Amino acid sequence: MSRARFFVVRSIQTVFLLWVAFTGLFFFFRFMPGDFTNLMLAEGANPDAVAEFEERWGLNDPLYIQYWRYFMNILSGDAGMSIQYRRPVWDMVNTRIFNSFILIAPGITFAYLLGSIYGSIVGTKRGSKLEEFGILPLIFVGSFPAFVTSIILVIIFSSWLNLFPTSGMISPGRQAEFAQLEWYQRYLSLEFVWHFILPFTAVMFRYLYLPTMIMRTSIVEVMGQGFAFFHRITGISKRRQLAHLARHASLPVITVYPISMTRALGGLVLIEVVFNWPGIGNTLVNAVMVRDLPIIQFVFFLVAAYIILANFLVDIVYGIIDPRVSVGAEDA
Amino acid sequence: MGVSAIRDRISSSRDHYIWEDLKEGVLTMVETRSAKIYLGFLLFVLLLGLFGPYIAPYDAEERLRGEGGELLRSEPPSLDHPLGTTNNGYDVMSRLLVGAQPTAAAGLLGGAIIITIGATIGITAGYVGGWVDNVLMRFTDLVYGIPILILAMVLLTFFGMGFWSSVVVIGLILWRGSARAIRSQVLQIKERSFVKAARATGASTPRIMVKNILPNVAPMAVLFLALGIGGTILIQAGLAFIGVVDPFVPGWGIMIRNAHQAGLVGSNWWWSLPPSIMLSLTVVCTFMFGREYEKIASGEQTFAETK
Repeated sequence: MSRARFFVVRSIQTVFLLWVAFTGLFFFFRFMPGDFTNLMLAEGANPDAVAEFEERWGLNDPLYIQYWRYFMNILSGDAGMSIQYRRPVWDMVNTRIFNSFILIAPGITFAYLLGSIYGSIVGTKRGSKLEEFGILPLIFVGSFPAFVTSIILVIIFSSWLNLFPTSGMISPGRQAEFAQLEWYQRYLSLEFVWHFILPFTAVMFRYLYLPTMIMRTSIVEVMGQGFAFFHRITGISKRRQLAHLARHASLPVITVYPISMTRALGGLVLIEVVFNWPGIGNTLVNAVMVRDLPIIQFVFFLVAAYIILANFLVDIVYGIIDPRVSVGAEDA
Repeated sequence: MGVSAIRDRISSSRDHYIWEDLKEGVLTMVETRSAKIYLGFLLFVLLLGLFGPYIAPYDAEERLRGEGGELLRSEPPSLDHPLGTTNNGYDVMSRLLVGAQPTAAAGLLGGAIIITIGATIGITAGYVGGWVDNVLMRFTDLVYGIPILILAMVLLTFFGMGFWSSVVVIGLILWRGSARAIRSQVLQIKERSFVKAARATGASTPRIMVKNILPNVAPMAVLFLALGIGGTILIQAGLAFIGVVDPFVPGWGIMIRNAHQAGLVGSNWWWSLPPSIMLSLTVVCTFMFGREYEKIASGEQTFAETK
């Protein structure tokens, strides 16, 4: 299979998967018990009002018409109205997505860079005390529930040392001031950085152990290969040797990177709740509590799309770094 | 089959090789010192779960009053209250001891569900093979893609925020890892001669799966039971912290949630820190125990091979 064909096939698969996820989620939420209208009735709403409500939002139409309408709306960038806030879902969600992204992407990327470097160092020091005990603390922190790591950070750095604020992205007193500025200016302010450091650290510590462990195992494996031996006897500098090793050993780490990015979603929700961070996880938790279906459904679709696209991207990147994946696929 | 027949079968199976295997497995588990420490802590939590309510110094549900009759709100640790009191005058130490029970119960039930489903799917897929394997493994892949906390959160709000339901939802998703690992081990075991011999004597597929394959994946099943217990406790506490679990079952997760909801996580550290530490240590010990056990079971060969 040529490389171009590999890319095309994976692209088509990805689009198909997105559609499957979309359709699956639509029907999944349609067949859930206890939707918003039931809740309205249970809370003593007038049945006539509920009927009118259903009429207005087209809830009485056959399912396939509802599906088609929703599908076309999503394609044109309209994700419906939030039932709770009576505002378009997209308006409510877009800055939240960015807030989450700016927390998770730098946090995990930094964890991977740091973990790869530390893992290579530990891996080349085979048999030392560092090798035996150097990773243990990272595994400990990584196994902690995400909210515990955050809470310990809050206790130490906010409560005891009084260095950072406990929650939010902008202090309540300065909300109005930032509301007047352009949306991106708040991310460039010192105020933001101040609130950002603790959640960022929580995300980083939580996901540091995986790249470290994988890099260590991988570099040990690569060190046993012929080229490493060749490099050793030609006597090139240690640093260049390590650079060559790291390049080869980084493949498994790159594969796991998007998995971490997707697995991190659960932890991200918890960290956002602890720090009251105005991200997508907090939005989802609030929407779930009041069963705001349009928001829940759209966030779920975003999560699914995110996972599918991340996997697609890694296949493409992997295909470029290691041609055996794309070109040699027909041997399998 | 009558009741007496079942009892006969159980008593005759007592000296069955499956028990021998299990005993051997348990003994290899505690071969190293760190494994002993991890398992020791887990047993300690289990004992707390059994006897915690009886050794608690105060009634965990009682709002304590001082000598002047005023509520003991947010008292820092003292001799009377080793871990202080909460903002509503509950004794933290007592609540911590009582909270071990739901946590341990959640872990054990979740682990049992996980290993039952995981072993069934893993052994079936691995031994039967063919399209059955294909279907089961694609299904496992699908479950692998689910962000568990997010899905469990939504399922719980729609189907009722109970304590047990939270554990069951977790168990119904978290079997995925054990199914994959057990399948790959079954793929090796089924090529061994004793399985082929059993097949040649005309033993049925279910019989071979239960009598020949199952005992041989038992050590790995124990490992995934440990991981399942830890995983369930971890995620259940997360769900409790979010607030989609019955708040009247006072597990450690709920305790941390209460402190957070009161906005006192930082200032009343004696309230939020102890359950956080107990929870983390429990989870870490299950995971580390699994890792240690894996090391023992694989015979430390990795080091010698790569050298």
